Amino acid sequence: MLTPIQTIKKKRAEAVNRIISKGYLSTKRVYVGMATCEIAAGSKDVMDVFRQAIANGLTDVYLSQKGCAGRCNLEPTVEVVEEGKIPVKYGRVTPQRARDIVERHLKKGEIIAEWTI
Amino acid sequence: MKETKYKLTLCDGTACIQNQSKVLHQALEAELDKHGLRQSVSIHLSGCLGICQKGPVLIVNPGYIMYGRVQVEDIPEIVESHLVRNKAVTRLIITEDHLYNRFFRIFGDVDFFGKQMRICLRNCGVIDPENIDDYLSLRGYEALAKALESMTPEEVIAEVKKSGLRGRGGAGFPTGLKWEFTAKQTADDKYVICNADEGDPGAFMDRSAIEGDPHTVLEGMIIAGYAIGAKKGIIYIRAEYPLAIERLEKAIAAAREHGILGANVLGSDFSFDIEIRLGAGAFVCGEETALIHSIEGHRGMPRPRPPYPSVKGLFGKPTLINNVETWASIPVILLDGGKWFSTVGTETSKGTKVFALAGKVHNTGLVEVPMGTTLREIIYDIGGGIPNGKTFKAVQTGGPSGGCLPAKYLDTQIDYESLAKAGSIMGSGGMIVIDEDSCMVGLAKFFIEFTQDESCGKCTPCREGTKRMYEILTRITEGKGQPGDIEKLERLGEMIKRSSLCGLGQSAPNPVLSTIKNFREEYEEHIHSKKCRAGQCAAMLSYTVNVKCVGCGACKRICPVGAVEGTRKEKHLILQDKCIRCGQCYEVCKFDAITKA
Ligand SMILES: Cc1cc2nc3c(=O)[nH]c(=O)nc-3n(C[C@H](O)[C@H](O)[C@H](O)COP(=O)(O)O)c2cc1C
Ligand code: SF4
Ligand code: SF4
Ligand code: SF4
Ligand code: FES
Repeated sequence: MLTPIQTIKKKRAEAVNRIISKGYLSTKRVYVGMATCEIAAGSKDVMDVFRQAIANGLTDVYLSQKGCAGRCNLEPTVEVVEEGKIPVKYGRVTPQRARDIVERHLKKGEIIAEWTI
Repeated sequence: MKETKYKLTLCDGTACIQNQSKVLHQALEAELDKHGLRQSVSIHLSGCLGICQKGPVLIVNPGYIMYGRVQVEDIPEIVESHLVRNKAVTRLIITEDHLYNRFFRIFGDVDFFGKQMRICLRNCGVIDPENIDDYLSLRGYEALAKALESMTPEEVIAEVKKSGLRGRGGAGFPTGLKWEFTAKQTADDKYVICNADEGDPGAFMDRSAIEGDPHTVLEGMIIAGYAIGAKKGIIYIRAEYPLAIERLEKAIAAAREHGILGANVLGSDFSFDIEIRLGAGAFVCGEETALIHSIEGHRGMPRPRPPYPSVKGLFGKPTLINNVETWASIPVILLDGGKWFSTVGTETSKGTKVFALAGKVHNTGLVEVPMGTTLREIIYDIGGGIPNGKTFKAVQTGGPSGGCLPAKYLDTQIDYESLAKAGSIMGSGGMIVIDEDSCMVGLAKFFIEFTQDESCGKCTPCREGTKRMYEILTRITEGKGQPGDIEKLERLGEMIKRSSLCGLGQSAPNPVLSTIKNFREEYEEHIHSKKCRAGQCAAMLSYTVNVKCVGCGACKRICPVGAVEGTRKEKHLILQDKCIRCGQCYEVCKFDAITKA
């Protein structure tokens, strides 16, 4: 029998493995704000753009939703996190901006400075 | 613009400043100049990072390398080695595996976030709230495992007491004491309740906390169940929060699947489960005894205390009620330590508090700061100040139970006692910034309109008194105020506060009384000069056409009551006896030719 601490450590290791198997170690991780406030600002459509891009063959990207970080008047927000780089935080992301983020940032590595927070 | 290669975050908290962080800042700038790095390296200042004994602290991004006890002499080495040659200075690196401030790795270099410290919201905006794996991977439920395996219930309570945590739902009662009272009761059943009613107009802290990280609330509740000897937890949440409810449901289901809820939690002999109850959204149902009545299926009406819920609560059983934010702090207290928690904050108030910063500030949003942060720091450093060149007039904290503080209180430190002393309250975390364009009488009227509507009607002073206050305020804003009205409001307010049963009535007059105290002259102007300096009370405004008029006729076309006269290309005229002061002509005039006064 495992003790509670042993149990939770095992669960943590399994959880990390599951997250990795979903592609966490991809070069880029994309987080889209999906809380009531973010969704009200239109984040579902933004999420769809990224989902669609992946369905259409965009690789090496781990896509996740996240709660609200608290920056209300800049929502929807999207972060692009890359190991060894400064996390890029985009604000007021529309579906059009999301498409540009896919084309320019995710595919070509260009940080679109004017949309960053 | 040259690309920023490195972002440095220098701790600008009190302890680090005492340890010469300002000198470090200058040395850093000089050293960057020397190497011609000013374009490619940016320096950001953070609030206290919670590791003061290792300060001054400097974080280098990318990589989130944290340097501790940095001395001026170390600066050339850090710049030359890390920023020029990309080789970190190993001997200065500190590693921290704290639970709090998780968000800082992603968001710390943005001023709005960098000045915050996050305990409750540590994972919000960082993890997928619908995936228990994300929570587990960040030491989720480790605090629970630690409590079950290596702490007695008494030790858990002692740890919470040591932290100095006080209830975040408004009243600020010491959490550890409340747990102890409930633990001491002997009963066959006990309950743990999470108060997620959040009835304050404009407040959304609890909703965001749950939507961003539901598991931390569950973890806090399960730990409490173990500590007080309860088997059942209930989350009372308003039905208007469908997404938060959905995420709680998912979190509960996942926790059950993992054996974290249900029989034999994590293989121990402790069993606990949680269910969700929906509230209909009445403000008074957030009051703990009304909330209990509502869960029992009765009308949500407060009852006198004592007996307190800790003795006689839900179905007559000992019941522990805490707020969402209180619950979310518990795992951090157990893993980072009650002692650590108590180093954050002021003498009487420990840890952090979440505020929903709204109103006339550049950066609106959720802000979690250490107790002791000043209002000025929140409004200017985090909030970015007042937009459009307007001047600050007041800050309202505590929503319908709180008060309005003018500029002279901007340096007040956030804690339960200081805010009360200044004439407001901490409340649950609403913070509205008000500029010169807002009428204080109108604001007071807004809040009393809310409370008189939400009064459950049980006590006459609260039910009738708030109505009378609302009527008086209405007539003042309509330009029909009478001499003596201010005194009447004061008398009524004091009486309602003294003779109401629950916190709703006891605090309902606060917005009115505090605006009278701090902005009495505005009330007097309304009553005696029929003037609203903010230009908000429509009845006291007059619109007139001035010399800039070119006679375009736009105002005449838009006026809904035909109060504008004039022929094309000639100066127009507003008939004051017809004008209903709707302001549409003022809005439509492109020539600034209508004067509002
Ligand atoms: C009118 C009224 C409304 C309240 N609404 C809430 C609420 O929405 N959420 C909350 O946590 N506490 C609310 N409270 C405070 C609760 O009665 C209670 O003190 C609190 O839930 C205890 O938790 P804490 O010690 O963690 O703050 C309200 C109190 C009053 C008088
Ligand atoms: S003070 Fe007001 S809300 Fe509270 S019990 Fe009395 S009437 Fe009801
Ligand atoms: S809209 Fe302005 S400029 Fe045109 S007629 Fe009216 S007051 Fe004159
Ligand atoms: S304020 Fe309204 S009612 Fe009065 S003149 Fe202008 S448009 Fe007409
Ligand atoms: S003041 Fe710098 S870590 Fe606390």
